[in-house]
Amino acid sequence: MADPRDPIVRLDGISKRFGKTTALHELHLSIAPGEFVTFLGPSGCGKSTTLRLLGGFEKTDSGRILLEGKDVTALPPNKRNVNMVFQDYAIFPHMTVAQNMAFGLELKGLDRAAIDRRLNEIMSFLELEPFAGRYASQLSGGQRQRVALARALAPDPALLLLDEPLGALDAKLRGQVQIELKAIQRQTHKTFFFVTHDQDEALTMSDRIVVMNAGRVEQDGTPEELYFRPATRFVAEFIGETNLIDGTVRGIDRDRSEVVMDWRGIELRGQAPAGVPAAGQDVTASLRLERLSFHEGRPDTPNAVRGRIVNRTFLGSRMAVDLQVEDVSGARLRAFTDHDTTSRVGDAPVWIGWDSASLAVLTS
Amino acid sequence: MTRNSRVFLSIVFWAFVVYLFVPLALMILMGFKDSKFIGFPIQSWTLDWYLGVFEDTDVIGTFFYSLAIAVASTAISVVMGTWLAVLLTGRRFLGRGAVYALMILPALVPGIISAIAFRIYARQLGIEPGMGAIIWAHAVHNVPFVTLVVMARLSTQPKSYAEAARDLGADPLVTFVRVTLPYLKPAIIGASVFCLLLSFDDFVRSFFLGSYQPTLPVLIFSKLRSGMSPEINAISTIALVLTAVLGIWAERSSRRMNKEN
Repeated sequence: MADPRDPIVRLDGISKRFGKTTALHELHLSIAPGEFVTFLGPSGCGKSTTLRLLGGFEKTDSGRILLEGKDVTALPPNKRNVNMVFQDYAIFPHMTVAQNMAFGLELKGLDRAAIDRRLNEIMSFLELEPFAGRYASQLSGGQRQRVALARALAPDPALLLLDEPLGALDAKLRGQVQIELKAIQRQTHKTFFFVTHDQDEALTMSDRIVVMNAGRVEQDGTPEELYFRPATRFVAEFIGETNLIDGTVRGIDRDRSEVVMDWRGIELRGQAPAGVPAAGQDVTASLRLERLSFHEGRPDTPNAVRGRIVNRTFLGSRMAVDLQVEDVSGARLRAFTDHDTTSRVGDAPVWIGWDSASLAVLTS
Repeated sequence: MTRNSRVFLSIVFWAFVVYLFVPLALMILMGFKDSKFIGFPIQSWTLDWYLGVFEDTDVIGTFFYSLAIAVASTAISVVMGTWLAVLLTGRRFLGRGAVYALMILPALVPGIISAIAFRIYARQLGIEPGMGAIIWAHAVHNVPFVTLVVMARLSTQPKSYAEAARDLGADPLVTFVRVTLPYLKPAIIGASVFCLLLSFDDFVRSFFLGSYQPTLPVLIFSKLRSGMSPEINAISTIALVLTAVLGIWAERSSRRMNKEN
């Protein structure tokens, strides 16, 4: 018997090319049982290719795919203990909801009684009983999504693949379904492999996010790590909104494990989560908009600059402001703040501070 | 659209309707005339010609002979045509264009030419004229219609349906039988009815490849040669009603099925 902490999935340097383009470049990855892993990236980054390779719909050019310790690289989709929620849900139109859900169970060779038992279980869990006799054409988008999920969960797969399953839903429903999906994943203890280009979806639901770009992994970590300590410029820009500060490394403060950098004459202190740069090197640092605080006098944060609000945008729950940094021509910062602070500060010069942990020095 | 052009179009339309239906109406009308001579005026009406048709064992036998040919050739065409459609819609292979062109060809060759060709070929192979030869010729002629209709339907099926079936544990055969075939059902029903009608209606191939037993169109033709009679009108009217009912039913049911999906 396998150790329960053994990975459910291990990708051993898998590569995939389509003609001349490399869709996936030697991907190594392990997924632990019960993890909610999201592959996040723009279209063409290789996230969907990874999903289709896991499902068995594409063949790898090199590398191995291990599922529950067994090599499934050469197995067709019907021989893999993996099920998928398709982007368009792919609910068979000539079958009722119950027939759709029974399809995978019948092919597993279960007898009628076992199938009915499992159907009742999954339908009551996902509150689908009222729709059992309906066809896909008689369901709303949200209901279809749920049926597709139920159908994929019914055969009890080792790994559930989800191919942008919320893309077809309207914005309001999407938020609700995100919470629901996360709850379902927790209750079923299933391993979810979720693919999306939507950073909000990724941040809300995932235990772990793998950001992909041009067939390679940019960064692999928890949502918090990716958000606050992005490793690369790509990740910093792709997830959330950020200030990118270009400067030169002055030196490394070993005691506090801080990078000291020069930003057009101003000294800034940041942290380098993904590798310490050398002195004299040109670097870019990422500073999240909500990490900036406003002060009347010089704050005692390691980083402090004086500036003036030149533009404000009302966003409802908060304000976005653009700041012109004094003594540095053309240097601007963008910050989130509340409505009261903005009106109190007005057009007068103000001190802006942030701690060194908020300034992530990027590797590229 | 201006008022004038609308008036013009409706005149053209009604002229077309008259052009299309007046001959049919005349034919139907003459079947009820109580006289052997076809033409106006109709002095008295009768159903005797129709009763005659139902008592004529020759006509009844021929009707079922034609029906059997239509059903058998349709069955072959549908299987062949669907298989070709799946082959041509699936993954690319060397010579796909050639297969497509060859598949279309039987529908384009003029009937008389293909009939003569079939006749010569059948003799070379030692195939006797008769039911088998006619079924063979009809099946070959009808395959392209099935393939084209099924291909059109197949191209509208999202790729994810077959993938979802495979994902849930179906091998390619089960996927085809349980997911793809039901999706193609409306197209297959429509194509079947079309093939039945084409075969039932065919004269040239049946004439060249038939034996002493004629098909219905051949029987009507031979009856015509011995002189026009309202009995022919009655037979034709019955055939017209049957084919029209079948055609309209097929059209309506395939439209309904399309709407459901």
